[in-house]
Amino acid sequence: MSQALDAKTMTIGESGLTLLFAASAFLCMVAAAKALDTAFAFHASLGAAASLAAVFMILNRYFDRPASLPPQEINGRPNYNMGPIKFAAVMSMFWGIAGFIVGLLIACQLAWPALNFDLPWTSFGRLRPLHTSAVIFAFGGNVLIATSFYVVQKTCRARLAGELAPWFVVLGYNFFIVIAGTGYLLGVTQSKEYAEPEWYADFWLTIVWVIYLLVFLMTLVKRKEPHIFVANWFYLSFIVTIAVLHLGNNPALPVSVFGSKSYIAWGGVQDAMFQWWYGHNAVGFFLTTGFLAIMYYFIPKRAERPIYSYRLSIIHFWAIIFLYIWAGPHHLHYTALPDWAQTLGMTFSIMLWMPSWGGMINGLMTLSGAWDKLRTDPVLRMLVVSVAFYGMATFEGPLMSIKVVNSLSHYTDWTIGHVHAGALGWVGFVSFGALYCLVPWLWDRKGLYSLKLVNWHFWIATLGIVLYISAMWVSGILQGLMWRAYTSLGFLEYSFIESVEAMHPFYIIRAAGGALFLIGALIMAYNLWMTVRASEAEVPSPVALQPAE
Amino acid sequence: MKAVLTVQNITSDFVTSFWTPIFVGIFLAIVAYALWPRNQATFDEASRMPLREE
Repeated sequence: MSQALDAKTMTIGESGLTLLFAASAFLCMVAAAKALDTAFAFHASLGAAASLAAVFMILNRYFDRPASLPPQEINGRPNYNMGPIKFAAVMSMFWGIAGFIVGLLIACQLAWPALNFDLPWTSFGRLRPLHTSAVIFAFGGNVLIATSFYVVQKTCRARLAGELAPWFVVLGYNFFIVIAGTGYLLGVTQSKEYAEPEWYADFWLTIVWVIYLLVFLMTLVKRKEPHIFVANWFYLSFIVTIAVLHLGNNPALPVSVFGSKSYIAWGGVQDAMFQWWYGHNAVGFFLTTGFLAIMYYFIPKRAERPIYSYRLSIIHFWAIIFLYIWAGPHHLHYTALPDWAQTLGMTFSIMLWMPSWGGMINGLMTLSGAWDKLRTDPVLRMLVVSVAFYGMATFEGPLMSIKVVNSLSHYTDWTIGHVHAGALGWVGFVSFGALYCLVPWLWDRKGLYSLKLVNWHFWIATLGIVLYISAMWVSGILQGLMWRAYTSLGFLEYSFIESVEAMHPFYIIRAAGGALFLIGALIMAYNLWMTVRASEAEVPSPVALQPAE
Repeated sequence: MKAVLTVQNITSDFVTSFWTPIFVGIFLAIVAYALWPRNQATFDEASRMPLREE
């Protein structure tokens, strides 16, 4: 009897995944052999290699592990699973820097077009989605996965659900990033903004995302804490809504199962509406609710203050949920989209101002009684300034959604400036702040290697953002005004190329801002690296921690 | 022409006649839950959750 208990057997997950990945390796090899285009052959080969690597890793892990699985608790305290979180944290820093470098390159391409190098792979059209996907989905996505897995464990006081599943999520998600990114460079795209990956990458992401949802939900189910902390609600809304958006925007029919090209089921203005329902709610539920979850955990933690108003957090959460999903049509003002739908989108966008500022006020006021910490703690300063940028961007957004404002701002650099106020100021800074907190916690360090370097990062990056967004405001409004200027005889006053010429100085300023932001991130990477390598280890906790798997 | 169903009149009729009051009702119930005096203690406790974990 006791022998039977001690005997090491594969779990259903281990054996099942081994078989699935073996089958996937075989199918990918067949697909690579029969591929109709080289990009598809390349991706199928990558799929085969990754599947074989997965089989090897699962088996290797099985042979190395003891007969019993890691316990849920050790000495009555949760045995947290930090391995996948460490991996996602490292990947987020890596992709962040990659994405910022590509962003700087394309900013320079706009100022000096010769930097396109006359090569298809390095042309602006292919590098631009590489930049947006790298910063939003690769950098931001890894930050969200890392922090969500951390926060859900800590606030539920339960070990992450599943043993292989969390690894499947982080590795599978990063494999999706590799497929998407290399695809853009090779010219594989379905030409939907922020949803460029083709059908097979979308299919893979769907599988990964469902597992992500299950890991998160099952961890909530086995929680020891009766109340589900508000950050977990925000994370859950992010995971669920992204799944819905991804499925809604990507029902495509491949031309062949052995080729990369597909056609989307929606046509014409319906496709446009689906695209911006997706696009704007990706802003709402990826770049907003996901990062608000970070705000609700990391700011109280870092400031050592309770959330200012828990009631407000509940109300503004549900207000965002009820309102956001309708705001998408403001991307389609003065198009073939019916007028009532445009007005609806505008109205809901304006209403969104209230829950957005509810969140901002809650984040900022959490510092009540701890404002002095802003002087001494640059990490907290970064987190708080991110919330200020959130407030600014969510004020500007509703303003720009008003049709008459939009008639000036749309298709101009003002939009780019607005997006970067949110992306660099809010998402970037809140992510940096979270990573600065997370890395010492994950690697059991007393603190960061250098707070001074965080201070440098903060000021250099802030200066970069200011240069970026002010250049784009001036450039965008100038552009909009030039396009709508008429002479006394009713002719357009400027040709399009004259407006392009007028942008040149602002494009240089913008590139300079981007360069500063990149320098800040490089300082951060060095600081985090030194924190893990050289920083003093925390006094070992009485709990014997499970080795990182 | 009135009999022709377009995407516009299906969605707008459906939305205005059915979902709006229900969603407003659900939202008001959530607001009531959040502001209910008896829940104050739970929320005060919850607002400190990040601070008291091990």
